[in-house]
Amino acid sequence: MKRIIALLLAFMMVLSLTTTITASAEEKIKLTFFHRWPNEPKGPYMDEVIRKFEEAYPNIDIVVIDPVLNDSYKEKIRVLIGSSDIPDVFMSWSGSFGANLVKSGRVLPLDDMIAANPEWSGKIIDSQWGPFQYDGKQYGIPWSMDGKVFYYNKTVFVELGLQEPDTWDEFITVLKTLQENGYPHPISAGFQAEWAVSHYLGAMVQRRVDPDVVTKDYALEGDFTDQGYVDTLNSFLELKEYMNEDPNSVDHSFARNLFIDGESVLCLMQLAEIKRVEDGADFEYSFFDMPALPGGLGDPDELEGAPEGMMISAECEHPEAAAEFVRFFISEENGALMTKMTGELSCVEGAVNPDSVSTPIQLDAVELIKKASGTTLWQDNAVDATVASAFMKGGQLLYTGDKTAEQVMEDVRAALELAKQK
Amino acid sequence: MMMQRTTRLQGKKRQKTPWSAYLYVFPMVVLMGVFIYYPIFVNFYYTLYNFSAFSLSHTFVGLGNIRLLLSDPVIATALRNNIFYCLISIGFQVLLALGLAFILEEPLYRRFSTVFRTTYFIPVLISMTIVAMLFMQILSPRGLLNSFLSLFGGKVRTGWLGRSSSAIFCAIFMSQWHSMGYTTMLFIVDIQKIPTELLEAAEIDGANRIQRFLKIVVPLVREMFFVVMVTTVSGAFLVFNDVYVLTRGGPGNSSTTLAVYMYDMAFTQDRMGYASTIAILMFVICVILALTQRRLLRTGKG
Repeated sequence: MKRIIALLLAFMMVLSLTTTITASAEEKIKLTFFHRWPNEPKGPYMDEVIRKFEEAYPNIDIVVIDPVLNDSYKEKIRVLIGSSDIPDVFMSWSGSFGANLVKSGRVLPLDDMIAANPEWSGKIIDSQWGPFQYDGKQYGIPWSMDGKVFYYNKTVFVELGLQEPDTWDEFITVLKTLQENGYPHPISAGFQAEWAVSHYLGAMVQRRVDPDVVTKDYALEGDFTDQGYVDTLNSFLELKEYMNEDPNSVDHSFARNLFIDGESVLCLMQLAEIKRVEDGADFEYSFFDMPALPGGLGDPDELEGAPEGMMISAECEHPEAAAEFVRFFISEENGALMTKMTGELSCVEGAVNPDSVSTPIQLDAVELIKKASGTTLWQDNAVDATVASAFMKGGQLLYTGDKTAEQVMEDVRAALELAKQK
Repeated sequence: MMMQRTTRLQGKKRQKTPWSAYLYVFPMVVLMGVFIYYPIFVNFYYTLYNFSAFSLSHTFVGLGNIRLLLSDPVIATALRNNIFYCLISIGFQVLLALGLAFILEEPLYRRFSTVFRTTYFIPVLISMTIVAMLFMQILSPRGLLNSFLSLFGGKVRTGWLGRSSSAIFCAIFMSQWHSMGYTTMLFIVDIQKIPTELLEAAEIDGANRIQRFLKIVVPLVREMFFVVMVTTVSGAFLVFNDVYVLTRGGPGNSSTTLAVYMYDMAFTQDRMGYASTIAILMFVICVILALTQRRLLRTGKG
């Protein structure tokens, strides 16, 4: 009898143990989240929003996978997406980077979620959705937006009576005038990191080359033989004499500092950099979009720059919770907090407002993005990495004098063949 | 006790290694197998395919990647850069370091040798990434080097890292500055092990410094010479950090090395098959070099 009682007791103990385990598992949903900002200022912002979210949804637990910076993130997310350990929610760039992730078949299409929450999705700025659409489906929710523009020193422009140039000729005239008036290197640029080259070339190719040809070539279905590419590269080379010495030897932050110090008058920068310029510049500044190129066939009102956004894994066990998290993150309130804490421009309408900006220039930036007729993807996001690399390295070698525009395009065509084999 | 055990072993028909010995080696064999030998073999297999890290599908290309490797001008540039790296490293990290070690161990300089030793060794303790950041500042158009050169007249604003002709040499010389202290230290330790009688005897016999160095020190540090040579040469063909942080292989591919190019192919351009092929090339080069050096220096057997 004693034995039976003991057995029963033991059995009950085991039973109660298992029930508590299942109960707690039901209570707390675990979502893994992978982003790429271990550093200031975005790291603390992410932590803050996650904290707020967990407070508002006590049944959901956000587990952040150790964030890593830019390039390491690219590698790690590639590895993770191919593994069984794919994070539930993660950040992605739009364009070809996102396309590669989507190609794995492990990213959840979000059209239903968007349709089910029209009030929320209606607040996201229209032009930002496109870069996350693949095969007619929406795979990412745009989160922060950006644009690449020429910042200029307004004080100097006013002093010399210069206007924002709309065409290439006007642009060159402006540069010449600046050079004659005590600015031997009116543009500052740093091409040591290749992407800086691609930001010039991406925008310039879009301005110059027939959009249909570009679309076909970037999709690796063309042949990159259009004369427009050579012309674009030559126009790019034309800028060299107005730039600081050996732009290949310095990085972009060096170029930005030359602008902030007032040594250069122009610098091609991202709108997201406003905060950094703001902290240092003691002059008035503004920006203009890349001027139209001679013989240009592309729409000169497009703006280069692609949004970053959030994606949800197709293998996520709690897609509703994940969607809830994304909606919480990309909301007017938390978008405003992002702009306030990090200076990045939120894609949510109204999030960038006089209260959240650190300078009214950020409001101008949003106006500029809204005014643009379309989005030109970053070149290294728009075309296969091998081809993009040929453009970027070619741009560097154009400046060192090792290659001519024609030779660079030969390399691009060789890269195209390799890219097709992938 | 000892005697008993030996007799017991001899008593058996054949002298067999006890099975427990295999058990002790087993974990290491597994680890080496999984993390070193298996990847090497799989890598050979990968060279036959084109594939991306994103997808699980591989396209068979046979010897296509090897053909590509042989005709790729960037491979030629990378190899040339690695050879420069190797030759200059041998000059500084092996030959000059040995000379330096001998000088520092000379009784005449003993008084200051601690100071110099420490000075030479400090760079070794700094992480390569930080060293590269430091050199970026020094070599920038408005950096220290140009300010120094401007003292000799004119305003020098060369961007040393931005020119195809100079970028790789910047990386090489940075690396010498960084690593010389280490090899010097290794030689010092070995020179200190040379019995002083030998050197004194030579001195009494009238050998001058150079003779003492060539006839006594050099032959006696041969083992260390071999070790340093192998690590320096194979290090020069595997070099990655220095170049990657300082120039990223640019401008264009002018300062790339095999390892940097391989990394670029694998992780930037996502051409895993071709990256594997470059890895094989590096593997082959290192094996050949190690075997040649072993043969030439005839050490390892005492």
